[in-house]
Amino acid sequence: MSVGRSRARIDAAAKLTGEARFPADRAPAGALHAFAVFTNQPHARLVSLDLEPARAAPGVVAVLGSADVAVNEYGLTMFDQPVFVGLEHTGRSPVPCDVSRWEADHLALVVAESPGAARAAAAAIEAVWAPLPVLADIDEALASDVLIHPYDGRGSNRYCSYRIRKGDMARGWAEAAVTVASVYELPYQEHAYLQPEAALAYIDAEGRVTVEVAGQWAHEDREQIAHALDLDEERVRVVYPPIGGAFGGREDMSLQIVLALAALRLHEMGVDRPVAARWSREESIVGHHKRHRGRIEARWGAAADGRITAVSNTAWLDAGAYNYTSNKVLGNCHLGQAGPYEVPNAEIDSHAVYTNSTPGGAFRGFGAPQAAFAAETQVNKLAEALGMDPVEIRRINSLRDGSVGITQTPLPAGVTLPAVIDRCAAEAAAGPSEEAPDPSGDGNGGTAPDPSGDGNSNGTGAGAFSPFLSLPGSPGALRRGRGFACALKNVGFSFGFPERCEATIVLHGDGDEPDRAELYHAGAEVGQGAHTVFAQMAAEATGVAPERIEAFWSDTATSGDSGSASASRLTFMAGNAILGAAEEAEKAWIDGARPATGRFRFVPPPTEPFDLEDGRCTPNFAYGYVAQHVELTVDTETGHIRVDRVVSAHDVGRAVNPDLVVGQIEGGVVQGHGYALSEDLRSDGGRILNPRLSAYLIPGIGDIPARVDSVVMEMADPIGPWGARGMAEMPLIPYAAAVAAAVHDATGVWFDALPLTPDRVLAALEAAQSP
Amino acid sequence: MLAPMKYAAPATVEEARALLAADGGARVFAGATDLIPQIRAGRPEPSMMIDLKRIDRLSGIARAGSTWTIGAATPTADIVAHAGFAAEFPGLAEASGLIGSDQIQNRCTWGGNLVNASPAADTPPALIVNDAKAVIASAGGERTVAAAEVATGPGATCLGADEIIVEFTLASPPPRTADAYLRLIPRTEMDIAVVGAAARVTLAPDGAVTAAAVALGAVAPTVVRVPDAEAALIGGPLTDDALEAVAQAASAACRPIDDKRGTVAYRRRVAGVLARRAVAIAADRAAADQRGASS
Ligand SMILES: Cc1cc2nc3c(=O)[nH]c(=O)nc-3n(C[C@H](O)[C@H](O)[C@H](O)COP(=O)(O)OP(=O)(O)OC[C@H]3O[C@@H](n4cnc5c(N)ncnc54)[C@H](O)[C@@H]3O)c2cc1C
Repeated sequence: MSVGRSRARIDAAAKLTGEARFPADRAPAGALHAFAVFTNQPHARLVSLDLEPARAAPGVVAVLGSADVAVNEYGLTMFDQPVFVGLEHTGRSPVPCDVSRWEADHLALVVAESPGAARAAAAAIEAVWAPLPVLADIDEALASDVLIHPYDGRGSNRYCSYRIRKGDMARGWAEAAVTVASVYELPYQEHAYLQPEAALAYIDAEGRVTVEVAGQWAHEDREQIAHALDLDEERVRVVYPPIGGAFGGREDMSLQIVLALAALRLHEMGVDRPVAARWSREESIVGHHKRHRGRIEARWGAAADGRITAVSNTAWLDAGAYNYTSNKVLGNCHLGQAGPYEVPNAEIDSHAVYTNSTPGGAFRGFGAPQAAFAAETQVNKLAEALGMDPVEIRRINSLRDGSVGITQTPLPAGVTLPAVIDRCAAEAAAGPSEEAPDPSGDGNGGTAPDPSGDGNSNGTGAGAFSPFLSLPGSPGALRRGRGFACALKNVGFSFGFPERCEATIVLHGDGDEPDRAELYHAGAEVGQGAHTVFAQMAAEATGVAPERIEAFWSDTATSGDSGSASASRLTFMAGNAILGAAEEAEKAWIDGARPATGRFRFVPPPTEPFDLEDGRCTPNFAYGYVAQHVELTVDTETGHIRVDRVVSAHDVGRAVNPDLVVGQIEGGVVQGHGYALSEDLRSDGGRILNPRLSAYLIPGIGDIPARVDSVVMEMADPIGPWGARGMAEMPLIPYAAAVAAAVHDATGVWFDALPLTPDRVLAALEAAQSP
Repeated sequence: MLAPMKYAAPATVEEARALLAADGGARVFAGATDLIPQIRAGRPEPSMMIDLKRIDRLSGIARAGSTWTIGAATPTADIVAHAGFAAEFPGLAEASGLIGSDQIQNRCTWGGNLVNASPAADTPPALIVNDAKAVIASAGGERTVAAAEVATGPGATCLGADEIIVEFTLASPPPRTADAYLRLIPRTEMDIAVVGAAARVTLAPDGAVTAAAVALGAVAPTVVRVPDAEAALIGGPLTDDALEAVAQAASAACRPIDDKRGTVAYRRRVAGVLARRAVAIAADRAAADQRGASS
């Protein structure tokens, strides 16, 4: 058996020894270096532009701008963003290119002999701007008659909306014994992957414009490059070397198009040298999209027996200056507004709004974390109002097999949330499986080094509480609490998108049975372990030993389209594609072909977009389920929160590699921990104020939950490969709501805005005390 | 293109001072853990970087009689690891051990921490409650300045353009005396203080406080001493009322800024919490100090 075993990551040795070369490590000697010039204008019209002084600067080989782009537009789901802001030329794009709508819109690409020369020359570019009103947030964009994309014909900055109308609201309110109304404020979140954006571009031996870059969907990158450069897709090649994290932040373009353009134009100038570029951390944080900030207004009712009778929600997401994937994220957020519950009566409106701030886009959970924070907190508040146990109210309302969902169609078979909720509650009640949480509170079960060096941070014996070593809690100030939340998340693309995934397997051998197999797959290894799991599944499907699988990854020249590393979909989709390819190859083998090649394109059951009036649709073909329990301590004098224990229970269908599943659970919890507690990206006037990791605080090793009990359940998905479901986004989704519930349990105060930074916590606790 | 930066490693204080005096664009450095990030963030590059770590007198920890002398370029990792020093100044060792991370502490120094003059620096409050003195090499010889006098505002010091801090001196604390330092940051490490609080307390055999010093970091342009807190402590036992008075006085003494790490109201409130906790820890340590009994 290869599936179901925790095989070591096939990329571990290369990544541990430094042999793996990430995009920033790949510039060969003799490469040229490019610097992408941001406009630094949240909203302004370009009046004049002179690139010549930069062209004349020392060491400069070329300066490219809008005039160099054949079709000056791009975008993952809509072509609404110019590759370069410029005066003269939109190519064949209808998108006006003389307006900068975002501080990280691009003005030019400087190609020079060294990174320093490129950067220095950029400063010589002369641009004159006429300011336009900066619509910095949702409220400003809705209140203004200035349109950020006037040509799109929508007549409003509110450019994308969905509705759900289900049942009879009057009846829902009449049946309600209690109602709870709240407004939830959701913050940005930065992906903070280890490796800032970097790429290398050149013309390959076959004459293809080739880009080596870290992305999430090689064929989609290729499509966007080909579109802007007006080339046949066959003339463009995208290769993914090792990728230093993604989390959704690499779904949209960064350096792909501009570097491809540079390689092409240099080639036309007779300069055949590779071009490399990389963003600094600051450029990365300013230059790529974020988890959407937004607001959810929620009013829910429940009957005395705990049944949810009515849900009335309005959700607003700040799309930023360009759509990116906002229309899709909004759809997923919309779908999650009523939580994973059977709700008979609902009216839900969700809107995406253009602003001049950083674009919102894909980030682990894809709209579900925002929806879950509101929905799960609403359910916890209803439970409190009814005097009911938070687990019990979920048992009563949970979706189950045969349930009709909020979009008025049955869920795909295999709805296991009730079992996941019960298991999580049981593990929580049973207590930690091993030793109790470390009472010294050094944040890591007693194994963390003590940087104060005295072994006992201050010798007061006052039981150090803190996340921070030199600050012991005074015992009288500490309050403990417990919280619960749950969620579901779709696996695979939703709402009618033509979902598919391709794989190729070639069987080799001289005997009766193949003894070696080649696997060709484009699925992105973004650090989650996808390639290891693909190889395990290929071994299982072909019967060839895992060491005898030779894989060719993520190169559009050799692999078919895999779809993206997103939507918790790769194991599910690639597994089915690999199963199909193995079956095809097996047939060819039996027919005597040597080597025997099988190609397969897996297409799951179709889905549908929301009906415009009532939202009716079959949105998805598969789901994964999660429930979480959080135990924490609040220092009521400083507002610090320490999470002592998390129980994260997941139905993963089948754990193809159990260790990697646990890795995803722990990583997802930690990323959710930052979202809930510390990550606070500030933006003002369309500009990000703290684009560095010294001021945008992701959790450090001493800040993360003291223990995470990962509970892996395997209840097969009927159409998952070997029963596997996706699971990688799920651990993040309910976490913030479980934390907020536990803080309420500890202090009696509800928090409806994230993150729960110490100053906000203390201010709210003090406000609650003063009459 | 930019002229390349020059690097010099003088062997004596006089050589270093001469280099500094000869080139207005030159800067001295010890750990460079402030200087290099500042240059990377866009501050002008010095024309010359003068390394102080090769000057013998600037590195080392020594005690002569009741006076400790610590070279201004001594890495704080050495200070934290010095058992004899840390036994007498546990709070100052604590502050030194909170800077950055192990890697940073292998480079960074008290001299740099003080002269960089960040309002949020960790060691200055602890140096100040212990009445540390900075020995400064000047054109006319050497002068000695209280650590409390070195920083005059954010990024500003009393040092002349060609002056260098050579070493720090500290008197061994009297019996039943101890210090403590606490800082609050949103996360456990690699973060800048929202508030830092240093305290030093001397107790009489009957438990009455006979001397006290309280200083706060990160709540004003420079470190703030809190005389009202000290007055509330001196003369009586360490009661809850006295500690509450310390907290009130500390909050009242703050003139904080509003930034990403904490609002004004939060800093003010938490300064009181930290001052109270630091005084309690220092007093616990002072009470446990056996040196008074044996000598
Ligand atoms: C990742 C990281 C984390 C950090 N965390 C903290 C923290 O937790 N707490 C904290 O307080 N600081 C922190 N810092 C800041 C820094 O490490 C400290 O301020 C440190 O003490 C500076 O010492 P240094 O020797 O490296 O100074 P340098 O960078 O060498 O010098 C700083 C300044 O002092 C001057 N200077 C240095 N020595 C002398 C001297 N002997 N005479 C005259 N002038 C001198 C230099 O010219 C320069 O202007 C951190 C820095 C980094 C990079």
